Amino acid sequence: MSQILRREAIYALTGLVTVLMLLEYFFWPTAQPWAETIRTWAIIVFNISLGLGAIRLLMQQSMNVQKRRENWQYSAMLLSLFVVMLLTGFAGYFATGLQTSNGIYNWLFINIYTPLGATLYPITGFYIFSAAYRAFRARNVDAALMLIAGCFVMLKNAPVGEAIWIGFATIGNWFQFTGQIPGMRTFSIVGALGLIAYGFRALMGKERGFYAGGE
Amino acid sequence: MWDVIGLWIGWLLMLMIYSYPLYKENPAFRTAEHMFIGVTLAISIITNFSNVMRMCVTPLMQGNILMIVPLVLGLMIFSMLIPEYQWVSRYPIGLLVGTGFGLGIRGTIKPNLQDAIIDTITAPTSGGAMAWFNFLYVAVGLICSIMYFMLTFEHKGPLQGPTRIGRLFIMVGLGGYFGNTVLFRFTMLTGRAQFFLQVLKLIPM
Amino acid sequence: MSVLSKLANVDSRVFYWILFIALMVPFLSPIGFPITIAENTRELYEGITEDEVNEGDVWIMNFGYGVSAWPECHPSVTVCTKALFREGAKIIFMGPHYDVELTYNKIHDTVREDFANKVYGEDYVFLGYITGGESAIAQLASNIRSVYPTDHFGTPLDQIPMMQGVNTHEDIAGVLSSDTGDYGVHFMTQWQAAYGSKLAEIGIAMNGSTDLPRWQAGNYFGLSIGSRGGAELEILIGELGEATTAMDSISVSHLLLIFAVILGNIGMVVQRRSS
Repeated sequence: MSQILRREAIYALTGLVTVLMLLEYFFWPTAQPWAETIRTWAIIVFNISLGLGAIRLLMQQSMNVQKRRENWQYSAMLLSLFVVMLLTGFAGYFATGLQTSNGIYNWLFINIYTPLGATLYPITGFYIFSAAYRAFRARNVDAALMLIAGCFVMLKNAPVGEAIWIGFATIGNWFQFTGQIPGMRTFSIVGALGLIAYGFRALMGKERGFYAGGE
Repeated sequence: MWDVIGLWIGWLLMLMIYSYPLYKENPAFRTAEHMFIGVTLAISIITNFSNVMRMCVTPLMQGNILMIVPLVLGLMIFSMLIPEYQWVSRYPIGLLVGTGFGLGIRGTIKPNLQDAIIDTITAPTSGGAMAWFNFLYVAVGLICSIMYFMLTFEHKGPLQGPTRIGRLFIMVGLGGYFGNTVLFRFTMLTGRAQFFLQVLKLIPM
Repeated sequence: MSVLSKLANVDSRVFYWILFIALMVPFLSPIGFPITIAENTRELYEGITEDEVNEGDVWIMNFGYGVSAWPECHPSVTVCTKALFREGAKIIFMGPHYDVELTYNKIHDTVREDFANKVYGEDYVFLGYITGGESAIAQLASNIRSVYPTDHFGTPLDQIPMMQGVNTHEDIAGVLSSDTGDYGVHFMTQWQAAYGSKLAEIGIAMNGSTDLPRWQAGNYFGLSIGSRGGAELEILIGELGEATTAMDSISVSHLLLIFAVILGNIGMVVQRRSS
């Protein structure tokens, strides 16, 4: 019994839901209310599941502080700011239904989150520059083709390319609108075929890696 | 007053983050990095909490008893934290995976297969020799590139030529992708450079 | 050791400083290179103006980007919002980032004059945060109220005049999805492919390569690629803004990168010959 609950029932649930989504779309439109209910449930479950990552991270940071691990001070600061933000956010939410109605939360949202969020990701801009200098080299025909296509697309994207020589834009446009299409379209087609194959394998119980704990 | 202070704090935080690539890893960078994680965690928890309240708990309170199911399923996912009961979390995962596969399969066929193939094999009706060259380039390129991904056969014999050519087409594609990626990364940096100057009032806000 | 060999071993931070300073210089002394309009951008603009939009049509504007991608996506979104409002369309704003409210506030700033003539709930509505990936977008097509029982501010959709009778994809004239991630693709698979909805993508430049074949195949009626697309749209609507200003900086940084690539390759050739 426990094996059925732990395995077979779960595979059956996955298969049933997959089939319902396919049936509703291809063969049986009257199943729409059921499919809608399942989708709404999935959205809510997805929403709740996002809390799992947060809890794991918080547990790890709390342990850092508790055990006075190296650089625990940073974890303490992270947790303090988290608590302030959480309390003020909930205060705002329960007072008006909108977390940003709390002044402190809103101030931190605008003046701490925004600049940090807008700053952290663009760091990759620096690294792409040094990567291009050190690694973007015409070592063989393959790499040379990639380099040529990349440079012409860059010169097409930057208005200066066209200002220097109109041909940069013309050639760049060719690479952008024609040159790269076979490669990019291949990724779409191969990805789609892969998804379908993987989906049907999962439906037949041959792919189980995505369940928690593997199997 | 608080807005101005906030602006300067934002400027300072930006410098703290960029002290890492422009100098080296240091306490200022780490402080800013941890601040971001702390704030983001809280924001994500509150936002998702309020969304669950809106989509699930409020309708449940209003008498939609069925909403108890996703709530329980959602809570079941936290059993992942207890090794002994980890299997319980497979139920909500099964629901998510099943929905994902179903929607993914039904959604991907038309745009990623049918439309892509039709567009590739539709011969040009105008544009002259260049249009025909482009048409053949894309058609031949696509066939060869797809052959490159046929990994069940060794790329030898009759497959060797087309797969080799396919690889070249893919490299051109990746080159174009790189060129566009550069624009994306630099644009984000440009935004920060602009903010840097705006706070110093060297350019208008 | 030759100059090129020395250059090959230069500390990366030197490049980072040069790049950061180079990005700032054009803001202090603008150059103003001419910008030509790409076909995909023109088709996007034409698809949201004149005969393509009827007064009272309801459009969805999806903010699928966070604060870090504001410089990439927001200029295009700004122009599209202006264009739709000027054609008398009504707009539903929503987004899958938990900082979507910041983006919504920003659009109020960047489209201030047009918003001044519009009434919340009648001409536009902000539904707020959405999550759940493809499931959420599929569900949005069949039943908006199950995903958004209320707007962002807690008002039930049935009490919002603009949302009366708007509940499925059939009631939506078109979707403009601006993304750093997958939501544009979800709209394509669950709206455009499934029901033939009118869809355009305002993507980051990085996704331009994967979006272009879809625009060519007709899945998107138009496509704006990154800040360059934003600058082109600003020219089309005749109101230059953030993206056009940033183009000089983009030009300088791209030139710098190409110079670095050339230098790196010359260094490689010289090193090969000497060894």
